[in-house]
Amino acid sequence: MQPVPPPPRPFCVMRASVPADMTSRVAERFALPGFALPGFGPAWTDALLLERADQDRLREAFDRNPFLTVELGEGGDEPAALRDDWSGAPAVEPGFYLSLTTGTAYGLQCAVLVCDELARRGGLPDGRRSNVELCLHEAIANAIVHGNLGIPSAAKSQPDGYRLFGRLLRERLGDPAAIRRRIDIFCRWSAAVLAVAVVDQGGGFDSAAPVAVADGKAQSGRGFLFMRALASGVTVTDGGRCTVLRFDL
Amino acid sequence: MKFQQRSTPDAVEVRLMGRLEFTDHDRLHDIVGLLEITRARGFVVDLSGLEFIDSAGLGMLLILQEEAESRNVKLTVRGAQGDVRRSIDLARIGEIITIDS
Repeated sequence: MQPVPPPPRPFCVMRASVPADMTSRVAERFALPGFALPGFGPAWTDALLLERADQDRLREAFDRNPFLTVELGEGGDEPAALRDDWSGAPAVEPGFYLSLTTGTAYGLQCAVLVCDELARRGGLPDGRRSNVELCLHEAIANAIVHGNLGIPSAAKSQPDGYRLFGRLLRERLGDPAAIRRRIDIFCRWSAAVLAVAVVDQGGGFDSAAPVAVADGKAQSGRGFLFMRALASGVTVTDGGRCTVLRFDL
Repeated sequence: MKFQQRSTPDAVEVRLMGRLEFTDHDRLHDIVGLLEITRARGFVVDLSGLEFIDSAGLGMLLILQEEAESRNVKLTVRGAQGDVRRSIDLARIGEIITIDS
């Protein structure tokens, strides 16, 4: 007897408009001078992709030039809910917004994907790609590992810490609640500035505390060192759940 | 990240390829496993096939250094170039691990 395939689930909604609550949330987290919020046409694209995302499917989604690309969670009638609720606050142009669950974002090389899309849309000059990609990668890795999966940096510092870290990683990736948490990546740019916000739904951290890389042998803490060295500005808001990277172009 | 290994009487050499990043912790276990069974006095990590390394990947190199030290094995990293070299230099890993050009 043939196994019954699981029902396809809607994966992705792409819109040229943003729900009002998301706009206010983003505006609050991402308040940077020099960006206008022009009106945006009423038309929007709504596409449902089936099955789990991979890089090719997300690139296919991006090719339709949406402002917003959102992975839907498991279960429920989210497409209908989104259609009802997302009543059309203007998108930020130029810019785009990608929202993925942690389970999908892990191992997807999101920074590569986002930088490819930034370059395709003219927001990332060739010569800046390498530094932007590393900073964005570090922000996303922090959001996934320390934010949504809730694994403390200190886990690596203990004796045999890397084994503990690996075990915690496997445990949390098997926790449905943890892998449903979202990673939101919001990109905006102008001729002079590129800014990328990475937002997670984890417990946050004390961003005022000094970053501990005093010991050169420390096995963690270098992500912020890279970001601070290579980006023009790094701002952490929302109790440590939002990292905004700014690059002067 | 993928890796290949080869052994000489003096050293075990591991060539890393692709990207070494925070999702590669299981690979680290495999490489530490090689350290645990080697009788050679040298352990070479060849990064010439590596395109990208993040801060977690650098942390893995430091773990390999600690594991090697604890077994009295000399660890050497070589072949880093481009973005990988930039990350190693930014984090000043060369102050802790022997880095050959």
